[in-house]
Amino acid sequence: MTNPDHKQINNKQLSRREALLLLGKVGGSAAMLQAAGLFGLFAAPVQAQPELVKLKPLTAGRKTVLILGAGISGLVAAYELGKAGYQCKILEASHRAGGRNLTIRHGDFIDELGNPQFCHFDKDPDLYFNAGPARIPAHHTAILHYCREFAVEMQMFCNYNKNCYTQDDNAFGGKPVRIREYEADTRGFFSELMAKSIQAEAKLDAPFDDIDRQKLIEFCKAYGDLSSDFTYEGSERAGYQSGGILSPGVLKKPRAFADLLQSNFWAGAMHFGEISDQAAALMTPVGGMDKIVDAFLSRLAGKVQLKAQVQKVQLLPQGVEVSYWLDGQLQTEQADYCLNCIPAQLMAGIENNFPADYVGVMRQLQRGKLSKIALQAKERFWEKEQIYSGISWTNQDITQIWYPSHGLFKTKGILLGAYSWDPAISDRFSAMTNQERIAAAITQGSKLHSDYGKYIDQGNSVCWQRMNHMLGCGAVWSEELLKTSFATIQAPVGGHYMVGDQVSYHPGWQEGAVRSAWYAMESIQQQEQQKQRQVAV
Amino acid sequence: MKYLLFWFGVLCSSSVYAETFHADAQYCLVCHGSNAQGNEAISAPNLAILPDWYLSSQIQAFQSGWRGHQTTDAYSKEMMAVAKSMSAEDVKRAIGFITGFQVSKTPETLTGDETHGKTLYQTCAACHGAAAEGNQAMGAPPLAGQYSWYLLRQLQAYRSGQRGAAENDSRGAMMKQIAATLQQDQDLNDLVAYINTLDIQKTNNPKTDIKK
Repeated sequence: MTNPDHKQINNKQLSRREALLLLGKVGGSAAMLQAAGLFGLFAAPVQAQPELVKLKPLTAGRKTVLILGAGISGLVAAYELGKAGYQCKILEASHRAGGRNLTIRHGDFIDELGNPQFCHFDKDPDLYFNAGPARIPAHHTAILHYCREFAVEMQMFCNYNKNCYTQDDNAFGGKPVRIREYEADTRGFFSELMAKSIQAEAKLDAPFDDIDRQKLIEFCKAYGDLSSDFTYEGSERAGYQSGGILSPGVLKKPRAFADLLQSNFWAGAMHFGEISDQAAALMTPVGGMDKIVDAFLSRLAGKVQLKAQVQKVQLLPQGVEVSYWLDGQLQTEQADYCLNCIPAQLMAGIENNFPADYVGVMRQLQRGKLSKIALQAKERFWEKEQIYSGISWTNQDITQIWYPSHGLFKTKGILLGAYSWDPAISDRFSAMTNQERIAAAITQGSKLHSDYGKYIDQGNSVCWQRMNHMLGCGAVWSEELLKTSFATIQAPVGGHYMVGDQVSYHPGWQEGAVRSAWYAMESIQQQEQQKQRQVAV
Repeated sequence: MKYLLFWFGVLCSSSVYAETFHADAQYCLVCHGSNAQGNEAISAPNLAILPDWYLSSQIQAFQSGWRGHQTTDAYSKEMMAVAKSMSAEDVKRAIGFITGFQVSKTPETLTGDETHGKTLYQTCAACHGAAAEGNQAMGAPPLAGQYSWYLLRQLQAYRSGQRGAAENDSRGAMMKQIAATLQQDQDLNDLVAYINTLDIQKTNNPKTDIKK
């Protein structure tokens, strides 16, 4: 990549008042964006919930459970209920199990409505991409519980790498800047302004005393790597201009604060790694996220019926009846319980006799629109730019470029050439053919890496709102709907339960799926215990 | 496509639905509902009320880009992509499959001046029929049984020129002219509120068995 031209940026003078107003804007906007769920997900910190599901073995009678959907919630339910002695069967509409836990490799079929694709990546265990979930934070204890129990081999996953780039068409002439440089300079200037503002105050309001005041100034110095007079004059944190090993390191000239603010990086992406679900250290299964699905399937032999598309769900006085298409014929089955993992927006279109308020909530959940584009690179050119794993950011539609956390120094690699959770962007990508999406990803990515297109072999794309049998990714709840209707959809109607990440405050994460399934199973157990008590009385 | 053809072979083996069932057709139900009755959550209209000739003309419209060519209309784009991926044989099978469903509609409660809507509807009746049952000779689809949110979106699309503007789409052009006369949003509301009161009509498909 070319060196950004420092000279073209004029250092504008900011008055202290203007600077403080700007700072307020920086802090306020970032906080606001995070609160609003910047990533299309609920960014509220997740409390560690270490308690695990404990189902007691069934003691009386035979109980049957129909599970609709073989995504993570359905697989968890079939596994746990099976262990407790329930007779389970999963009906899955698609040609594969896993739901949005989808790893794409050589030869795979991507079942997008109107845009079916096959994956032509080379046949190599390192050449894959996780089209759905790709990372697991440590506090997602429920999904990690199964990774541990099934001995799924894990590796660390890097979300945040200071050697990656930030590129913004409105800043630095549209040229990419290393995240380490942007962050060092931004923190430096921010700290200098804070330190000098505090110094200028004769006294701080209580409860701060003079010692606190001095500590606060020292904090600014440490936070921004300021010189002894509390001025930011550049930092080795930004990376040296030259030298540093056999000759003295030469600092880069700091970029002007006003120019740093021209970029939109500070408004969200810069703080991405602070979000509890996205912060280091993260994990991912070696060889693809679907190793978790494989582990469940190997324990559920004969219990998963693929290509079974549900036609009707009927609540019975006792239990539930489900009709489904299989091999061109309508089949009907009854069970004591039904765990329904069908995306609510699709269930709203499937014949049912649910109460009006229950199905009414399903109609109001919005389709999550997320898109990913994966590119196979002939050569791991990013390693020559000292990038090993992590994410580069841009204000173009592709939004992010991910570099693989595995397969270092190998010849080829799979880049995530685009990942957007903005519905408008996802609509633009979904309206394109796969070839057009690849071309767009290469054009936009070329602003971050010169000769980008030269390295790209081929690619695949997954627009979740267009994927067959899903038509969305991570149900979109409005805050108002959560308040008024979450309890309605979470509660059982007779023996019927809606489950999945959609019935959690963490849609779009496997943790939400597992905990939703656990919640429903514990409720089933309570129903059973109650029935036994009634029999005993 | 190889995959889909394989599927077709598997699914058509000696079943009662063999004549009409096709993997592509089952695709239709994912968005349009398990009885082809439509699904507002996906913005997919009621297909079960539509006769074969109209379904055929609209798939053609999507394939040729008459519908869905406007970049602002993401829903039409979705259908356009599916229509373009269908062969003539796929279309035939899909229509056979869809017209085999009983006609149904999820009830809607609407607020609108139905009396005013009835007055406005007199213009529509010339083509769409007094009971909004549709008229093949005029190329006018049945409207009774269609969802108000869909009718509203189409009227708005005709009015704004997103629909009915394509060259060779003479019937769309006619509808575009008429929609342009409905300037007030309240008129549109009143009109669909009236259409919502009309009973679903039996379509011209002999297999159709009306479900009340």
